[in-house]
Amino acid sequence: MKIEVQHLSCIYNRGTAGEVRALDDISFTIESGSFTGIIGHTGSGKSTLVQHLNGLMKPFSGKVLLGDTDIGASGVHMAEIRRRVGLVFQYPEYQLFEETVAEDIAFGPKNMGLDEQEQEDRVREAMATVGLDYAEFASRSPFELSGGQKRRVAIAGVIAMRPDVLILDEPAAGLDPAAHREMLRMISRFHQERGCTILLVSHNMDDVAEYCGQVLVMDQGKLLYSGTPREVFAHREELEAIGLGLPAGAELLHLMNQRGAEPGGKGALTDAEAAAAVLEWLGKQETC
Amino acid sequence: MLRDITLGQYYPVDSVIHRLDPRVKIIAVFTWLVLIFFIRDFTGYIFVTAVLAVVTAVSRVPVRFMARGMRPILFILLFTFVINLITYPGTVLARLGPVTITDTGLQQAVFIAIRLILLIFGTSLLTYTTKPVGLTDGFEAILSPLSRIGVPSHEIAMMMSIALRFIPTLLSEADKTMKAQQARGADFESGGLIHRARSMMPLLIPLFVNAFRMAADLAMAMEARCYHGGKGRTRLHPMKFAARDYAACALLILFAVLVIVQSRGLLPIPQIWKL
Ligand SMILES: Nc1ncnc2c1ncn2[C@@H]1O[C@H](COP(=O)(O)OP(=O)(O)O)[C@@H](O)[C@H]1O
Ligand SMILES: [Mg+2]
Repeated sequence: MKIEVQHLSCIYNRGTAGEVRALDDISFTIESGSFTGIIGHTGSGKSTLVQHLNGLMKPFSGKVLLGDTDIGASGVHMAEIRRRVGLVFQYPEYQLFEETVAEDIAFGPKNMGLDEQEQEDRVREAMATVGLDYAEFASRSPFELSGGQKRRVAIAGVIAMRPDVLILDEPAAGLDPAAHREMLRMISRFHQERGCTILLVSHNMDDVAEYCGQVLVMDQGKLLYSGTPREVFAHREELEAIGLGLPAGAELLHLMNQRGAEPGGKGALTDAEAAAAVLEWLGKQETC
Repeated sequence: MLRDITLGQYYPVDSVIHRLDPRVKIIAVFTWLVLIFFIRDFTGYIFVTAVLAVVTAVSRVPVRFMARGMRPILFILLFTFVINLITYPGTVLARLGPVTITDTGLQQAVFIAIRLILLIFGTSLLTYTTKPVGLTDGFEAILSPLSRIGVPSHEIAMMMSIALRFIPTLLSEADKTMKAQQARGADFESGGLIHRARSMMPLLIPLFVNAFRMAADLAMAMEARCYHGGKGRTRLHPMKFAARDYAACALLILFAVLVIVQSRGLLPIPQIWKL
C-alpha cells in the first residue's frame, strides 16, 4: 500500500518550557511493496514519524495519506488503519502480557474480531514467519523466553494481523550479531514472500545498504535526504556531520582511495560489493 | 495523553522560587497545608489565593501547565463536591427526588473544593520548582533530628526521591505500552466498566513487569556504586541559607500570622460567607 506524507509537523509539550519540534515539514512517498529504511541520530524524530503513519499520533499540521485515504480525516475507521499498517515498537518485548505465547500473538487477531479457528491459523502462520516452533513455544509463558525470542513473539503479534504495511522501529537494537542477522533475513524473507510494504527504522548503515530500495535520512525533525542507498550514501561528509556514516564496505573503499590505492568500485556499498571491487583491483595489480 | 499528567514533575525554568533552599520550600508547603484548614470564610480564601497567584507568577511556571496537572484529579474533585453538596442538613435550596441541596451543603462543597484546589496547587508548586535531588536533601535535613530516635530519615528521603524520580518514567512507559497495544487493536476507550477494567490488563501487566525490572536494575546500579545507606555519606552540594531564604522565612511568618489573625476575625475587614 502506498503511503504519502505531506508537510507533516509535530510538536511535543506545546507551549511549555520543554517544547520540542519533533517533526518539521516532512514530505515523502513510499511506493506499495517497497522496502524503505529510515535512518537518523537518536532523537531525530524517527519514532515520532512512524507513529503518525498508523494514526497513533495525530499530525499537528500536514497530512498522511494511506492509499487514497487521509487518515486524519473524520469518519476514518482507526482500527482498520491500524490493522493495515502494523507497527512494531522499539523494544517490543516489553509489551507482552498474556500467559502464553499463543495468546499474546492472538491479541491482535482477537481485537479484529476473528473467530478462534482463524486466530489459531494466524498464530501458527506468524510463528512460522518469525521462526518460532509452534509445538515448542505456543503454550509457554512469554516471560520465561530469552530476549531475542520475546522480541520475535512481539513481532509475530503484529504480523498475525496480516498488515499491508509493516513498520519496524529498530527491530535489531540490542540483539547479538547472529540474532541481528537472523532478524533482518527474516524481515527480508517476509517482504519477498508477502509483497508487504516494509519500513525499517535503523541505526545500522550496513542493513540499510543491503536491504533497502529507498532511504529517508532524518535530522533534528527534518527530512535531510531521500533516495536510493547509492544516492544517499554519496553524501559521506554530511552524514558524518549528523552522527551517521557509510556502510562498512563503502567506508573501506573510501579509506583505500584516500590512501592512494584506487580500487574503483564507485558506488559499491555492501561488504560483498566492496570485496568484489577490492579483489578485482588486486587482480589488476598482479597483472601489471 | 498520559504524558499530559504534569503533577509531581519538575518544571525547568529559573526563578527566585526555584533557587530557594528546598528546606524553606518544604516548610512553607507544610505551613500552607495547615493554614488552609484555619480559614473559615471567603475573604480568607481570596487572600491566600492572591498570595498563591503572586508566588506562582514569580515562579514562572505557566498557569496553563499547572492547570493541566489538575486534570487527572478533576474526577475526585467533582466527586467530593457532589457528595458534600447533598449530605448536609440545613435550609433546603433545591430538591431533586430524594436528593436535597442545602445552604450548608453548598457552602461546604464550595469550601472543600477550594481547599482541595489550593492544597494541590500549593504542593505541586513545590515539585514544579524543586529538583528531586533538592527535595530529598531537604526532607532528609528536616527529618534528620528524628534519626536520633531511630527514624531512618535518610532511607525515607531516598525512597521518596526515587518514587518522584520515576513518576515521569512510568508515565512515559505507560504511554508507550498503551500505544503499542493500540497498534495491535486494543481499545482503551469504549465499552462498559467491566470491559474497560479488563481492557486495562494489556497495559497494567507490562507496566508492573517493567517497574519491577527497573527497580531491580536501579538497586543493582546503586550497589555497584557502593551505596550503603546514609551513614557517613557527604553532599556534593551542601545546602546553605542565603539572604533570599531568610527573607522568604520572614514572609512566611508574616503570612501565617495574617491568615491566623484573619481567620479569628481580628482584622478590620468583613468575613464574607463565614462558616
Ligand atoms: N512523548 C514525548 N514527549 C515529549 N517529547 C518527546 C516524546 N517522544 C519523543 N520526544 C522528543 O522528540 C524528539 C524525537 O524523538 P523520537 O521520535 O523518539 O526520535 P528517534 O526515534 O529518532 O530517536 C526527541 O527530541 C525526543 O526527546
Ligand atoms: Mg526511536
